[in-house]
Amino acid sequence: MRRSPIVTLVAGLVLGGVMTAWFAANRPAPKSAPAPKASAPSAAASPSAAASSVLASATWAGEVDGGGVSIAIAVHDGVAVAYVCDGKREAWLQGTAADGKITLTGKNGASLTGTYSASGATGSVTATGKQWTFTAGVVQPPSGLYRTAQFVNTAKVVCGWVVLPGNRQVGACSSEGQESTPAPTLNTATAKPLDPKDYS
Amino acid sequence: MNQTNRLLLIPSLLGAALAVALGVYGRVHTPTRVAVTIPVFSSLFHAKLWFASAAALLALVQLLSALAMWGKLGPKTPSWTPALHRWSGRIAFLLVVPVAAQCLYSLGFSSFDTRTLVHSILGCLFFGVFTVKMLALPKQGLAGWVLPVLGGLVFVLLIGLWLTSSFWWFSENGIKV
Repeated sequence: MRRSPIVTLVAGLVLGGVMTAWFAANRPAPKSAPAPKASAPSAAASPSAAASSVLASATWAGEVDGGGVSIAIAVHDGVAVAYVCDGKREAWLQGTAADGKITLTGKNGASLTGTYSASGATGSVTATGKQWTFTAGVVQPPSGLYRTAQFVNTAKVVCGWVVLPGNRQVGACSSEGQESTPAPTLNTATAKPLDPKDYS
Repeated sequence: MNQTNRLLLIPSLLGAALAVALGVYGRVHTPTRVAVTIPVFSSLFHAKLWFASAAALLALVQLLSALAMWGKLGPKTPSWTPALHRWSGRIAFLLVVPVAAQCLYSLGFSSFDTRTLVHSILGCLFFGVFTVKMLALPKQGLAGWVLPVLGGLVFVLLIGLWLTSSFWWFSENGIKV
């Protein structure tokens, strides 16, 4: 009886170790070539300019914690654009990425704050009236963030896609003042990922 | 140094070391974002919500059984109360360990908003204070306030953890399995 609290602690330690080992065994394969472990977050995509505080270029994509909603964040020279979509409801956000921090805002009170490093971005996002946390890994084309804007009978129709590794696409289209609809399948062989500097 | 301080010295140092170690590990390692499938639940994330909620419920059992053991709920305490307290505590602890392992290994110590910062700090403190309490329990000659204070701290920390995680998520997204 005198020893039972110690047994409880040891059991917890062992269980924690077993769980961590189980998680480690299920760890997803790295999505891109393993980057050298960066000590400074800003070294993410510009190893030659590690001292620079502005992120040169990177795209992170993944699902929010809990799943069901995809998110992609593209950054170019400190300009950041994010797209959050569950296949129907969607939100575009725009902002900055510098000093290891990303801050974006969008219409209808949408906002995103987070941190990034060589391996990915993590943070929380509020969009379509809901809030999620997320951790998204670095992705390379054809995975990434795509956007098209076309005029159809004078109405501007904007479509967005989060393309996750394995060409899993989540996207939606909307024209001003209209409810969004699921996006058609994107041909990633011909489409070009969004350059955040071209976002409008 | 009085007897209580002397008896609590090593447990407190070990508990503090664990809390700091968890926080440092959570902060410096790269979050791995693993996903494993769990029966019944739609995802590991949902399983965590319910494991933590079950632990929070058991924490209430802990509070009530402790009050009964200290004679605060009337003079008649059932003989099985101490056993209920021990076993509900053990089960609650074993429920939160996998949750914390996933939090630490997959997500890490976060500070991007107040909720995650508070949750991260409470999480490290919880395991630190729980360790102190477990190591202090077998000691004889402790002052009377020690176990109620440690137990109360563990309770408050666990409820705080639940409020900043499961409760927050359920209130934002509705109750889902």
